[in-house]
Amino acid sequence: MPNQKAQKFKNFVGHILEPFALGVLALLFIIPTITVMNLSPITKKLKDLNVLGVNSQSSVSVTLVGGKHDVFTEENLNKNDNTSDYSTKLNKRAADSYSKPILEIKNNTEQVQTVSFYGQTLNQTQSNIRIIVDDKTYKIQDDRGQTYPQEVTVLPSSKVIVFLAIENLTGIQFSEEFDLQVKVVENL
Amino acid sequence: MSKLLRRALKISIVPAILLIAGKFIGILCTSIIYNLNFQISNDLNGLFSVQIYFPDASTTLFVNSISNLVMVVFLALPLAYFIIKTTLYHTIANNPRTIVKMTRFNMLKWITAKDTSFLTMFIWCAFLWIASGVTIAHTLQGSTYSWVGIVAGSLALIASLFTIKTFEIETDNIYPREHKYY
Repeated sequence: MPNQKAQKFKNFVGHILEPFALGVLALLFIIPTITVMNLSPITKKLKDLNVLGVNSQSSVSVTLVGGKHDVFTEENLNKNDNTSDYSTKLNKRAADSYSKPILEIKNNTEQVQTVSFYGQTLNQTQSNIRIIVDDKTYKIQDDRGQTYPQEVTVLPSSKVIVFLAIENLTGIQFSEEFDLQVKVVENL
Repeated sequence: MSKLLRRALKISIVPAILLIAGKFIGILCTSIIYNLNFQISNDLNGLFSVQIYFPDASTTLFVNSISNLVMVVFLALPLAYFIIKTTLYHTIANNPRTIVKMTRFNMLKWITAKDTSFLTMFIWCAFLWIASGVTIAHTLQGSTYSWVGIVAGSLALIASLFTIKTFEIETDNIYPREHKYY
């Protein structure tokens, strides 16, 4: 009789544990899959640390804001050592002003950093192209195709959002490429 | 708890560990052999925060490809062992020539019913599908060489065919086909 009771109890516990065991079995498949995907290496500029473990490299990061816009499409950002090349396609548009946040510039250092901008369209266009940083406007290219290099300062441990603004007094019936070179100016 | 579930749990532990170990050993060995710099860092982006970083895209592509290949091989080799053992175990019963050959190579003791069940092969094959799936996904994303994706896909396909064959053999044992009576 006690053996029968023990057997019944065992069966009862077994029935209760069955859904948990199924969950554990599912986890045995899910956890390794997520771990393996997470273990996949990614590319990132490795930090140069000196012997005291203090980062001695000037570090200003430039990242793409992204998002959708009718006029500014096919945005791309290529990073090199100290420069980043931003490019976008300016689609045909009616006479008006358009703007879009394009880049986020982050100063990770404890010093004020200066960032220079130089941009132009491949074809001559009748548009005024500007960048707006902290509500200040910087002219990049005027409606006659003249370009203007600009410099913006970024405070220590802070970030700024760069807006690209375009204004044309007549409708533009063709698309054009716009390139903007963003360069961190070395502090002497 | 059913015996099937208990056995499935027991069998799943080793391939689950090998899946992770294969990937990790692949990254580690490639980095050591080719003297590559890497950094392990915490980024609170995904479910797990540990990330392995390499300095440039070509190194990342190379390490990811090799580690994916090692991961697939880690699962494919034991599965190949199970397939060979199961095939020999089932052929030996019907083919005297195989018995003679096995005796000549002094391998008769090795041919036992152990590790020849469909459940073992199915679970190992499922983990190989996962490893191949991850590798193929990486290939489509451009973070693994295409030949590694092709090898992984082919191995998964071959393993699936043999697993189906084992399933047929096991169902034949339970429900023998009519021609086997005569």
